[in-house]
Amino acid sequence: MRGKARSGHPGTTLFILLILWGAVFLIAPLVGSQRVDLADVLRGDPTASVIFWQLRLPRVLLALLAGAGLAVSGLSFQTLFRNELAEPYTLGIATGAALGAVLALRLEESGVLWGMPLVSLASFAGAISATALVVGLAWKRRGSTATLLLAGIAVSLSCSALILFTQYLSDSTQTFRMVRWMMGGLSVVGYGEVMWTAPWVLGGAAILLALRWDLNLLLLGEELAASRGVDLVRLRIKVLGVASLMIGALVAVAGPIGFVGLMVPHMIRRWVGHDHLFLAPACLLGGGVFLASCDLAARTVMAPAELPVGVLTALLGGPFFLWLLVLGKKDR
Amino acid sequence: MTRTGEPILSAHGLAWNPDGRQILGPLDLDVVRGECLAVVGPNGAGKTTLLRCLTGLLRPTAGEMRFEGRPFATLTRRALARRIAYVPQIRPARVPLSVEEVVLLGRYPHLSAFQIAPRQEDFAAVDAALARVGIEALRRRPVDELSGGERQAAFIAAALAQESELLVLDEPTIHLDARHQRDLADLLLRLASESGRTVLLATHDLNLASLLGDRLLALSAGRVLACDTPARILEPGLLEDLFQARFEIVRGGERPVTLLQLGGG
Repeated sequence: MRGKARSGHPGTTLFILLILWGAVFLIAPLVGSQRVDLADVLRGDPTASVIFWQLRLPRVLLALLAGAGLAVSGLSFQTLFRNELAEPYTLGIATGAALGAVLALRLEESGVLWGMPLVSLASFAGAISATALVVGLAWKRRGSTATLLLAGIAVSLSCSALILFTQYLSDSTQTFRMVRWMMGGLSVVGYGEVMWTAPWVLGGAAILLALRWDLNLLLLGEELAASRGVDLVRLRIKVLGVASLMIGALVAVAGPIGFVGLMVPHMIRRWVGHDHLFLAPACLLGGGVFLASCDLAARTVMAPAELPVGVLTALLGGPFFLWLLVLGKKDR
Repeated sequence: MTRTGEPILSAHGLAWNPDGRQILGPLDLDVVRGECLAVVGPNGAGKTTLLRCLTGLLRPTAGEMRFEGRPFATLTRRALARRIAYVPQIRPARVPLSVEEVVLLGRYPHLSAFQIAPRQEDFAAVDAALARVGIEALRRRPVDELSGGERQAAFIAAALAQESELLVLDEPTIHLDARHQRDLADLLLRLASESGRTVLLATHDLNLASLLGDRLLALSAGRVLACDTPARILEPGLLEDLFQARFEIVRGGERPVTLLQLGGG
């Protein structure tokens, strides 16, 4: 909106985030268990080139995209549910995706379809089915946010039960692969995953940005938003649909990576204010910077071993919640 | 001074009785262009339900509503919002925006998703609304830091920026102290006289209704008990039927004043 938003500095923050994004994009592919010199890459040194172009760059690109998608969908869930603790996995999307992946792993499906591993496609299908089920259940009750949340919890619990059941029926190798998948990570990545993720994340972000007035109006309450001409049921379906497709596509390639959608929008709001015109792009940049930095840490702190990035974000998420509780109090 | 001008908003056979429960109506109602119609009645009489139906937020179970002769069914939500601005009673406890941002959101029905920024005319409407309500000085202030009266003024300014012909307010003075009630009443009187806006408001404050209303509509258990000038509605027998409480009526000024009597009942 015009001039300076109340509590934030949207222009400055966006500028700083853009610089950070560029820095991560340039530096992260050079750092890791083996350092790579940019000069070697540019000179065409074979080892350096393979590490830079084939191993590190696609991984950094995917981290930038996945972090962006997680943060933007977290933001839209928080605005939609008017609750800053809502996150992209609130409606059982992650458990639905995990169920899909677990079933595929149990069946030992290792094929590739449309350039994507079947496990990924199965988890994408699981995510979308879970969301469709939740929205369908809530729709019968005219789609209020409370019913959506309850339906999400119910579907999530059912999926968890089915996952446990499937794990019980599996042998230890399969179970290990299932548990590893659920930790979330960016380790085996090529350009196929990047090409798969980019349209979902960028397209979804564009749609959410187009809905920025509606999302801003939701901050004034649903009654007022409806009286200004917002069709609440349609808005909920649009936002949920877009965010779920985005998350489903991300979970399919990277597994469930928690807390990014919670932490990033929260920090960004403090710096940018609450206008979604600035919030959405800032979350895109900030989420990418955050996840790419976490991934950089995940593959260097225990080098040559590698920590799944989902474990690292979860380790950061717990203290973040505590910090919110203790220090964030004056805010509410 | 019962008005006989053309109705801007009219309802015929309006009823909202979900699952066979008697909540509202059936009732007929006309809001005349340029008037201030105050709906009065006890808690639970159906005032808010009536306003939600008349603003298109609630689809009635029976009856038809028209705005300037056009059935609601032929108007989109946005088209309706360009004609009717609503200031609901219930709002979120926290509104993390500045006064200017809140008022600018009143322009929503005039904005398109593909607009990068609001247009000049949107900002002009915001400036005009802030000036009319007299809160230009609060423009940059966070809504969360305002007093109850200032907050109410900000939301009324947002409704004015909507540039609709009909302004609908639900219990606008609830939670306001005497001075802010007076300021708000002054503001609404000015709005009616200066901008010729049609105002529909619901309140259980009889003196506010008497001060502002050209006509009062007494709503009791979802039915229209009477609809007439304040002088005719504010009458002990009718008020006792309406509120199950006794009132003394003080006449002599321009508008009657009601005093609640203790005891009895």
